[in-house]
Amino acid sequence: MTTFAPTPVEVHTEAPHVEPPVKTKLVKWHGERADATSYIFLLPAVILFTLFITLPALIGMIYSVTDYVGFGDSKFIGLANFQALFSDPRILSAYAFTIGFSLISVVLVNIIALALAIGLNSKIAWKSGLRGIFFIPMVISGIVIAYVFNFLFSNSLPTLATSLNIPFLQSSILANENLAWIAIVIVTVWQSVPSMMIVYLAGLLAIPGEVYEAGSLDGATKWRSFTSITLPLMVGYVVINTVLGFKNFLNAYDIIVGLTNGGPGTSTFSVAMTIFTGFTSGDYAYQMANAVVFFIVTVVVSLLQLRLIKGREMSL
Amino acid sequence: MLSRSLGASETSPSAGSTPAPFTASGPPAAADPQWRRTGPSRRTFLQLAGLGAATAALAGCTSTGASGATQIRFFQNKPEVIGYFGELVEAYNSSQNRIRVTHDSSPTSLVAQIVRGAPPDLALYNYNLETSTYVARGVLSDLASLPETSRIRPDVQALVTQYATYQGQTNVLPYSITAAGVIYNKTIFADNGVEVPTTWPEMLAACQSFSDAGVTPVYSTYKDVWTLSQGLFDYSGGGSVDVAEFYKKLKNEGANILPDSPTTFENTFGGAVDRMLQVASFSNPDAPARAYADGNLAFGSGEAAMYMQGPWAFSEIEKVNPNLDLGTFPLPMKDDADNRVRVNLDLSLWIPQGSQNKSAARQFLSHLMQPDIQDAYNSDNLAYSPNNNPIAVTDPRIAELQPYVDEGLFYQGPNTYIPPTIPIGNYLQEAVISGDGTEFLRTLDSDWRRLAVRTS
Repeated sequence: MTTFAPTPVEVHTEAPHVEPPVKTKLVKWHGERADATSYIFLLPAVILFTLFITLPALIGMIYSVTDYVGFGDSKFIGLANFQALFSDPRILSAYAFTIGFSLISVVLVNIIALALAIGLNSKIAWKSGLRGIFFIPMVISGIVIAYVFNFLFSNSLPTLATSLNIPFLQSSILANENLAWIAIVIVTVWQSVPSMMIVYLAGLLAIPGEVYEAGSLDGATKWRSFTSITLPLMVGYVVINTVLGFKNFLNAYDIIVGLTNGGPGTSTFSVAMTIFTGFTSGDYAYQMANAVVFFIVTVVVSLLQLRLIKGREMSL
Repeated sequence: MLSRSLGASETSPSAGSTPAPFTASGPPAAADPQWRRTGPSRRTFLQLAGLGAATAALAGCTSTGASGATQIRFFQNKPEVIGYFGELVEAYNSSQNRIRVTHDSSPTSLVAQIVRGAPPDLALYNYNLETSTYVARGVLSDLASLPETSRIRPDVQALVTQYATYQGQTNVLPYSITAAGVIYNKTIFADNGVEVPTTWPEMLAACQSFSDAGVTPVYSTYKDVWTLSQGLFDYSGGGSVDVAEFYKKLKNEGANILPDSPTTFENTFGGAVDRMLQVASFSNPDAPARAYADGNLAFGSGEAAMYMQGPWAFSEIEKVNPNLDLGTFPLPMKDDADNRVRVNLDLSLWIPQGSQNKSAARQFLSHLMQPDIQDAYNSDNLAYSPNNNPIAVTDPRIAELQPYVDEGLFYQGPNTYIPPTIPIGNYLQEAVISGDGTEFLRTLDSDWRRLAVRTS
């Protein structure tokens, strides 16, 4: 997962105003003067992004209204793929599963990450060592984690449950249609906590100590300073973690492949997994239509989240 | 399992943030369902969009080399026999100087090569539903005029056309057949006084006597769903239904199938699935949590009497115990002894239309199909020859299937006709865990209808 700078820094170019060299072309944009150098720096990223993300996405959108199978000829078939999509129970249940799974995961990850960040930010022994340990899941590849947990859930946990005499865990929860999603949530949360924890740690470090001092002089309890000082000042970071986290969880793929591969039955098929079947099954155009719908869903959900949380931010 | 050995080149769709998935339980050694998943990856398509320039460079590779010999690219990437064919290519290159064969054993996707107009000159590849789309779309050249074509048994050549045909041409030449059935432990059978069953009542009785003796009758691995579709489902479906005929009718009816039509999964496979679930009920109790590798280990350790796997499992079982006395029999599904074995065209030869050196490719194809070379390959690799007058297989583990192959009593698994967009393996997993066969078949029917609507 990519970590973004939590709060965008406003760049004000007018402060140390240096007269630019005569030959540098100046661009006027929203009243601020941007150096041509900025654009040169941006250019490689823009080119790469366009070439490898935007362009393929557009091509995919074009294919979504054809009957393309991956090679050979294809013809325009209008919105037939989309029509079929909305009447396909497997696709719909994949959406339901993915969104439900993402909601639960994003809430759990945020709570655990914030709690860990606060713990690791307080005065405790072995602080940096502990931070390192909690950081480990982030640097291990998801598929590796998934296979290790797969073994734990299929073999170790049932053995343990048998010796401790806990009946409902004695058979693998991965083989249980109603419980397999819990395993996926556990592994996803375990893997995603560190990256969110880092964002929260950065946020905590940005809160000046004086605010807490002032609070404690006024007799605030630990809990009160958490709810009235820490949380309001951290809302920006919560937004980042929620939006990015939710977007990431919607794309859930590798952990599910490694744990259940969509099973038992089709109970844990994620949308990304159904889209991917299009590449191997000659169902390319249909799954491209699915991808387009998924893209729209992701954008709408993200905008909605931003809107809900916007305006609750506070700054000193 | 999404990806098998060859699928390792696939990347996940959450672009960039996740690594390529690979298989947990390892690929089955020979043949079969794992091949289906070797389609184009997302990465491939991105490359297509971006790397047009590289295409031109690659296309240049197939032309005549500096030495004057014609360069051809021979595509063969079945992992277990890359070394075998590597030596064969080397020997061929040093035996003459007109044709220079390059052995391409990379696990790259064929679709991408075909899309960018740079297909291999000759391919020796698994023939399955995915490969058959090349036939259906007219991507492959007609080989009917080759003398080698006449040596292939018509009933084996028919396996090719069961998936797809193009204008009555002969586009694909079968090279190696894998036959699969129920692998059984001869020692456990003898110890319990059980004979190899040849009818459905005998099969049930055999399971019952193992069960009564405290021996696990069948070792099942529901966690790897492909083991269910290629094993339990294909064996029981193919053992009771004329598979090729069913799919032929199903395709003809297209999107117009009604639930009361005789040509539905529910109305055709009902009895087979019912019996499949009865066999499944004799499985090890922890089957839902067991994968292919667990199965090989358990069966190799003598924990069960029967195992629904193909010959590719033998090399894995051998690693556990090389001295097991094993055999294979077709799963009996009928009340009288009228059994069939599951086959698939593990390797087949074809030359794409897009090849610039078809005549050189044809010469090398003829070389590969020389009886001594082809028969040697097949007897070395637990496989059957598609030709008339082949040499008999000698390995006792598969020799019992010989009469069925000889008499043409075989079918291609009913699961292999179903495009991967319908996750039949997952549906089966649900069926064997819940025991609801009707729901499983109804889901197949409605999925098939939806697919027919948008592909017709």
